[in-house]
Amino acid sequence: MGDIVYSLKNVVKHRIIENAGFRLCIPSIEIQAGENIALVGHSGCGKSTLMDMFALILRPDETDQFEISPVGDKSHKVDKLWQRNKLDSLAQVRRHHIGYVLQSGGLLPYLTVRENIELPRKLLKLADDDSIISISRVLGIHRQLDKLPGLLSAGERQRAAFARALSHRPSILLADEPTAALDPISARKIMAVVMELIKGLKITLITASHDWAHVYRMELRILDQKAGPVEGGRIYQSTFRD
Amino acid sequence: MSQVGNIVRLSFRDYIHEWRMSGCFVFALAAVLAPMMILFGLKFGIVSSMIYELVENPVNREIRPIGSGRYDQQWIDGYRDRDDVEFIIPKTRTLAASIQLRSDTAKRIISTELMATAEGDPLLRNLSNTPQNLFQIILSQGAAKKLNLVRGNQVDASLARQFRGKRERVHLSLKVIDIADASVSSRSIAFVHLDLLLATESFKDGRSVPGLGWSGNSVNEVSRKYPSFRMYASSIYDVENLVQSLEDQGVRVKANAAEIATVQSIERNLTIIFWIVACVGATGFAFSLGASLWANVDRKKKELSILRLLGFNTSKIVLFPVMQSLYTAVLGWLLAVLVYLLFEQIINRLLAPRLNLNQTLCYLISDHFFWAFGLTVVTAIFAAIIGGMRAAEIEPSDGLRDI
Repeated sequence: MGDIVYSLKNVVKHRIIENAGFRLCIPSIEIQAGENIALVGHSGCGKSTLMDMFALILRPDETDQFEISPVGDKSHKVDKLWQRNKLDSLAQVRRHHIGYVLQSGGLLPYLTVRENIELPRKLLKLADDDSIISISRVLGIHRQLDKLPGLLSAGERQRAAFARALSHRPSILLADEPTAALDPISARKIMAVVMELIKGLKITLITASHDWAHVYRMELRILDQKAGPVEGGRIYQSTFRD
Repeated sequence: MSQVGNIVRLSFRDYIHEWRMSGCFVFALAAVLAPMMILFGLKFGIVSSMIYELVENPVNREIRPIGSGRYDQQWIDGYRDRDDVEFIIPKTRTLAASIQLRSDTAKRIISTELMATAEGDPLLRNLSNTPQNLFQIILSQGAAKKLNLVRGNQVDASLARQFRGKRERVHLSLKVIDIADASVSSRSIAFVHLDLLLATESFKDGRSVPGLGWSGNSVNEVSRKYPSFRMYASSIYDVENLVQSLEDQGVRVKANAAEIATVQSIERNLTIIFWIVACVGATGFAFSLGASLWANVDRKKKELSILRLLGFNTSKIVLFPVMQSLYTAVLGWLLAVLVYLLFEQIINRLLAPRLNLNQTLCYLISDHFFWAFGLTVVTAIFAAIIGGMRAAEIEPSDGLRDI
């Protein structure tokens, strides 16, 4: 196996949901570079919470270890950066190495599709090349580049969101329920294209989905998830592990 | 492009994209600022012209000698040279200072009070002409009406006296070089060159006036003494000193002390009111602007979270709402200035003539526009920074999934 990208040990995040306590526990997760991971579970089991922690935008409450070692970069102790409030260092890792696709796309409504896709490249001051065109072509949105996201269908928006997440050639692609708003046929098409796209790029994919059908089809490694009430029912605990 | 450059670009794009919302913010700002500026302009215009009128009004600056004295030319010149004296001119005895005027276009001959005038007379400050010789005359409005004369007409002036038991009358043809404003005096007054006033007095006293061919007793002109004078202080603030100085010389004078005190207290009180209104208005404006811009930051929470997700630094993110507030501040200020200028014209052109006011009712000086701009921008940026900091403090994952 290759290098370890994510290494988490005893990471805990507490949340209060509808007056009930919720606890997300990760006793141990290690993700190799180039692996394709799926977080599977019903709504409210903490998939998005874990995705946000992978994306370095949510602060874990307790950690023994939380390290990210993107391909071509040094290892970053994420828990220490959060503790010391080094938000700009976390932003820098995000900027260089992570592409994140939100359930709702998360495209900026005031920029055209092209400008949305260009934005991560502009942030890294990458030179303009034909990569925007070629990735748009692969994802089938090259005719929509000069439209505003509001004029696109839900499926086109998600394709554009994938294009933006991949435009700066990150080594990690996170996708939180990327196809939840789509019909099953469109969803399968999009995911097939994305899988094809990242295969040659040695990109680590982590996707959250409650849709079992995709998971079997795409040969993802599924993280083991268990959930249930603990401490006399006061707290609902969800556990993800390798 | 740097992060800052990107943020400025994005904030502008978003501002344009949401032009309806941005327009509302701009209108909301102008809706508060413009009336405040108009109120301020009215206050400033009315108060300043009122104070100007009170301070400048010659009546309030006049110092009148009581009874008659004996003032020579040297004494008069001494006062004329003082900085706190704007104007001084001798007067002759009241009984001698009158003249009969007759015009071809009016039936009545009217007896008119003669008053010497010269360059810089505050009473005639609105006129550009001054009698340069014995044959020029400026009439008060009342006199001109009675005689049915306008500027440029000739008028026949005559003087009568009992001399050596005989009644004598002499005539002079005078040119009306101007008509004084109605506000100068309601009486019939003829403003003339000092030499004409002195010639009139000489004639009535039975002395000769060789220059005009009037016979009489010969006199020594050098030792001429004047019984009275007409004097104006440079400003109402100089009156008190000037009165003191005259009284120290034994000259009993009367000034409008009570009016001056009133003017000064009005000026003080209006200035206080002016500042209270300004402070209350500015505070209210700052709060209303701050509240609306703060609300805008809250509304932008999701988009700010996406920018942070993409890897913008938190410190740069704050710039996003700050820039948008700046656009709102500049555009809102511009709109408010336009609205203000429109209303200034309407008020001054339509309202002022109706109220029979000769003064500007509403105006602001350029300083006021800059102050309004500064206040707007500082408030806008301050509100946006506080709102932006709050948005930056929350974790980026918060707000990402808000609908």
